Amino acid sequence: MTWLSSRFTVRVLLALLAFLVLARLPAGMDIGFQFDAALAAVWGFGILSLVLLTGYVGQVSLCQATFAGVGAYAAGMMVSTFHVNYLVAVAVAVVAAFALGVVVGLPALRLSGITLAIVTLGIALVFDRYVFQDAAFAWFTGGSGGWRVDGARMFGFQMDSSKHLLAAYVVLVGLFCLVALLMVNLHESGAGRRFRAIRDSELAASTMGVNLTRYKLLAFGMSAAIAGLGGSFYPLVAGSVSPQPFWLFTSLQLAAIAVLMGVRYVPAAALGGVFMAFVPDVLTRFGHGSFRGQSYDISFDWFQIAVGVLLVIQLILLPDGVWGDLRNRVLHAMAPARSAARAVVKKSVTTA
Amino acid sequence: MATFAAYTIIGLSVGGVFALAALGIVLIYRTTGVLNFAHGAMGMFSTFVAWQIFYGIAHPFWPQWLATALAILAGLAFAAVMGLFLDLAVFRWVRTRPPVVKAVITIGILLALQATASLIWKNNQYHLSIYVLPKDWVVSVADVPVGANSIAIIAVALGLAFGLAAYLRYTGFGRSMRAVSDSPTAASLWAVPVGRVSAVSWMLGSLIAAVAGILITPFINFDTTSLTLLIIDALAAALIGGMVSLPLTVLGGFILGLLETYPTIWIQSIGFPRLVALVVILAVLIVRNPRGLTASR
Repeated sequence: MTWLSSRFTVRVLLALLAFLVLARLPAGMDIGFQFDAALAAVWGFGILSLVLLTGYVGQVSLCQATFAGVGAYAAGMMVSTFHVNYLVAVAVAVVAAFALGVVVGLPALRLSGITLAIVTLGIALVFDRYVFQDAAFAWFTGGSGGWRVDGARMFGFQMDSSKHLLAAYVVLVGLFCLVALLMVNLHESGAGRRFRAIRDSELAASTMGVNLTRYKLLAFGMSAAIAGLGGSFYPLVAGSVSPQPFWLFTSLQLAAIAVLMGVRYVPAAALGGVFMAFVPDVLTRFGHGSFRGQSYDISFDWFQIAVGVLLVIQLILLPDGVWGDLRNRVLHAMAPARSAARAVVKKSVTTA
Repeated sequence: MATFAAYTIIGLSVGGVFALAALGIVLIYRTTGVLNFAHGAMGMFSTFVAWQIFYGIAHPFWPQWLATALAILAGLAFAAVMGLFLDLAVFRWVRTRPPVVKAVITIGILLALQATASLIWKNNQYHLSIYVLPKDWVVSVADVPVGANSIAIIAVALGLAFGLAAYLRYTGFGRSMRAVSDSPTAASLWAVPVGRVSAVSWMLGSLIAAVAGILITPFINFDTTSLTLLIIDALAAALIGGMVSLPLTVLGGFILGLLETYPTIWIQSIGFPRLVALVVILAVLIVRNPRGLTASR
């Protein structure tokens, strides 16, 4: 039972604690902020999928919102057309996103870096302008009206309308904490080591016997499945699905915010999700008024401007992202204390 | 046959648009090693500056030709300043970083420029196009009316491609630019002013983006997103040119324009041409694997 080390137990407890705190947090907020909180979890999944794909495996992707959109449309289609339980719809959505991820991963077997960025940008644009909007795919996207998910049920609870928003939120946050825990553990597992070997050098990894085809496709599939899992809850949160939330600029924002927050770190995904969901809403809500007789009106466009400018500054000054650099600084400052503590523990163990 | 001729001419003028947009990408990539995803957004922003002069300030009072000239000058001047600013404020500090990091930085610039333009000029409004040449100048080619603006695009694309190629090949500064594109370190050891080359490249690239944007407005839905998203078609054209050759890039633009236009004879869909562009990108990257991209930068 070596996997049941103290480190693992600490992580499980931390994930449980995070779930308990996060699940209770929006209870006192108004409906708008509850919606933001649920949306933060949806986009949190999107950024988490990039932590896996870019942070662990080193593959660039500019189409994560596309995966989330496929998850959202698949879930919407399952509920509206086949009237299944929402749990089944989520499962189908995750499988659909996984399949698309593997297909997107196929060209990635030959490409990397900026060429992969070009291809995934093209895929995001094709889904944005063609698949999500064209009449030929109305069976999947529900036409211009999109899908409505009235009467959706999960675990025997009603979850469809804004009255039941918190129920959907609790499920979302529970799943987010679970997937985040799995991701942290994946980092040191056998598959995680192979992923990181691919990130550091594909040539070296394949020389050591890592099956590049299998693990790259697996990484794309898993990443798409994580984004799709978040996206599959979007119809519950928003009440319907439309192409707008999953368009190209959302994919670019997801990539930008993931890098900004620290693309190698799981907690940065939660941070990024909150940033992406709350800041535009706070700007539109509180961004207008008057200050010393001068009236001002701050549009939510400022959010995207801030993301772009902050990304440029971060990449020049803090290459490891906001979370990564903060973490490194704290660890660095604590290093003497940590080594002292470790020495004390070691001494007590050897004397005992 | 008449429809075929008509679609060929439409395809060629669309291809001219792609070719113009792609030239700047290739130029900046060759000399600075930055794959500029913000190229469309930069062109878009300069074009809106020109549009502001054309319709906002000069239009009702002054003769048409003067307003047009002023608008183009303002757009180009803004573009040059923006290119210089981006080089000095951003790309000078990341010269030694991996190409992916530089590409992600341009995504940040894309997001900031697009949102700023949407803040100033509003996104969902239908903006009137800028006509560089009068709209009613029409020539008939094979019984198909061709606007003077289409011919201007094709001519400017060809002229810029061969002009820039000649500049890079035959002038001293062009030689410096090619030296930096081969190896910045070796070039600096030979006293090539690497900083000045990079600044000039960014200004030239930004200028080309502005020229493309201003000429393109009559042919696309002129808003803050369409010009920004033109980047995919431009990248496809640039990839056909191998990210190296300027004349081949223009040829790539025309090929892509025709490939995207012919299917619209049978398929009435706004999004379908994007699929064509993606297939072209995949085909070029997987079958040909351009040498410009595999260079060890």
